[in-house]
Amino acid sequence: MSPTPVPSLLTGLGLNVENMICSHCKEGFDPNEKIVNSTGQLSHQKCFVCAQCFQPFQDGIFYEYDERKYCERDFQVLFAPCCGKCGNFIIGRVIKAMNASWHPECFCCEMCQTELADTGFIKYAGKALCHECNAKLKAKGLGKHVCHKCHGIIDDQPLKFRGEVYHPYHFNCAACGNELDANAREVRSRPGFAANEMNELYCLRCHDKMGIPICGACRRPIEERVVTALGKHWHVEHFACAKCEKPFFGHRHYEKKGLAYCETHYHQLFGNLCHVCNQVIAGDVFTALNKAWCVHHFACTVCDQKMNQKTKFYEWDLKPVCKKCFEKFPVELRKRLKRQHDASPRKPQTAS
Amino acid sequence: MSKAKKVLEEAMESNILEIDLVDKSISLFEELPGILEMTHITRLTLSHNKIQTVPPGLANLTNLEILNFSNNQIGELPLSLSSMPKLRILNLSMNRLYNLPRGFGAFPVLEVLDLSYNNLSEKTLPGNFFMMATLRALYLADNDFEYLSSDIRNLKQLQILVLRENDLIELPREIGELSRLRELHIQGNRLTILPPELGNLDMTSNKSVFKFEGNEWVNPIKKQLELGLSHLVEFLKSEQYRILHNRYLTNKPQIPPPCVDKAKKISRIR
Repeated sequence: MSPTPVPSLLTGLGLNVENMICSHCKEGFDPNEKIVNSTGQLSHQKCFVCAQCFQPFQDGIFYEYDERKYCERDFQVLFAPCCGKCGNFIIGRVIKAMNASWHPECFCCEMCQTELADTGFIKYAGKALCHECNAKLKAKGLGKHVCHKCHGIIDDQPLKFRGEVYHPYHFNCAACGNELDANAREVRSRPGFAANEMNELYCLRCHDKMGIPICGACRRPIEERVVTALGKHWHVEHFACAKCEKPFFGHRHYEKKGLAYCETHYHQLFGNLCHVCNQVIAGDVFTALNKAWCVHHFACTVCDQKMNQKTKFYEWDLKPVCKKCFEKFPVELRKRLKRQHDASPRKPQTAS
Repeated sequence: MSKAKKVLEEAMESNILEIDLVDKSISLFEELPGILEMTHITRLTLSHNKIQTVPPGLANLTNLEILNFSNNQIGELPLSLSSMPKLRILNLSMNRLYNLPRGFGAFPVLEVLDLSYNNLSEKTLPGNFFMMATLRALYLADNDFEYLSSDIRNLKQLQILVLRENDLIELPREIGELSRLRELHIQGNRLTILPPELGNLDMTSNKSVFKFEGNEWVNPIKKQLELGLSHLVEFLKSEQYRILHNRYLTNKPQIPPPCVDKAKKISRIR
């Protein structure tokens, strides 16, 4: 509702004052009295007041309702609707919806906040929603995606492209132009480029012809950094220890029978732990008697004296014993050990 | 001043962490003044001496990782030894141990235990002996075991088990649960049959050494051993052997006599 145009003030001059009456009090006018003409209705100045507060209209602006005139304030108090969102009076266009009145700019989609006054809305679970959000919610309820292009529900497999989901049939292969299906592959044309804008879609046939490496672990294409090892390509995060499954991320790996292992597990599984310190042997390895040692841990098992690769030693139950210690062994033990050695002859040994 | 005292004084002055007192004619710890206060040391080697008893206070050396008493005359050990928090390698080979203190198996981190050439048997082992879950190597050669406890299965980390020249009559089935075992020495015992479960172990890898000589094996096993270890493994795993083994259990082969004359062992001397 808008205020009625400002009325004009007339004087009786040149008019037939005797025949006119005030539309409010129905009395006549004095010949020299100022008469108010508001949209053809004449009245005394004293009668042209607000029907509620009996005060003259400020700036002559009044509102008419049921043939009565009101000042702006009283009209709003008595008749203007309140907005369901902001609670203020609504002057001008009123949107009546959802059992309430709204400013046009206050009636918005409850999910995305776009104005609904001109586009229409859909009531969904007591909420006013735009068509798009309604479709999204409905799809979510069905466990499905909504196409980012046509806003329809995607019944079959969606196609992911530049971070959104679509019906595959909206797109064509960037190479052969054929309509795509859900097997289409998104390819980053600039490897390592973080944003999605450069991505292109290819059908599976064309994609495979492009020679993009396939990860040996997950069988998916590798679009960022490629690790090449064991005769295969790998996603950096998929090239991992066969035992603990932790990715190497550039750390040294050890290969055995077509599998890769981290240092710890390679040694744990394949034996190069020092017999004394039980740690992975860093640097040179002493191997002898079915065991391995750190160079500085290779010692006589009886006296703990360090030995080197030139030291002659005896074997006692596959333990190394220096000559000096062996000669202190009980004679009868030495005889028995010797007998055993003679059965499977072996000379004093050195480590390698 | 004795040689031993000199070594200790030098070690204290220059803060040496590894003490070597090999072949110093030591009989008593009293000859080693201050050693029980050297709590920072990590290795103590006392091989080739004449020590008969170990003081309980030795357990004060809480940083000790390697303790070597090889070739002494120890007949008794203090219970406190097994509480040493960092002890990883304990060598008690060539001593005169007939038994071990109660609760000996309580070592928290022991990895290598050498008890070769003593006078131990299943009858004198403390109840918790096979509870040393961190043990990698157990040397029991030249002792008097006739049977091995089925508790051996608790030694999950065991890689080396040496039982050469005991009096073993039987091996427990549970030996087949020691999945990390890669060295087994059972030469010179009184064994006739093997538990089929032994076939579960990885005997044939190039990291494995299994020694079976010098036992009175029943003919089928003897035959497979002559053919080679891989033949023995296949045979132990076979249905044929499972049946054969059951038959042997109900109708046991005659137990062979002891094959080593233990009377000559110097560990017997009292």
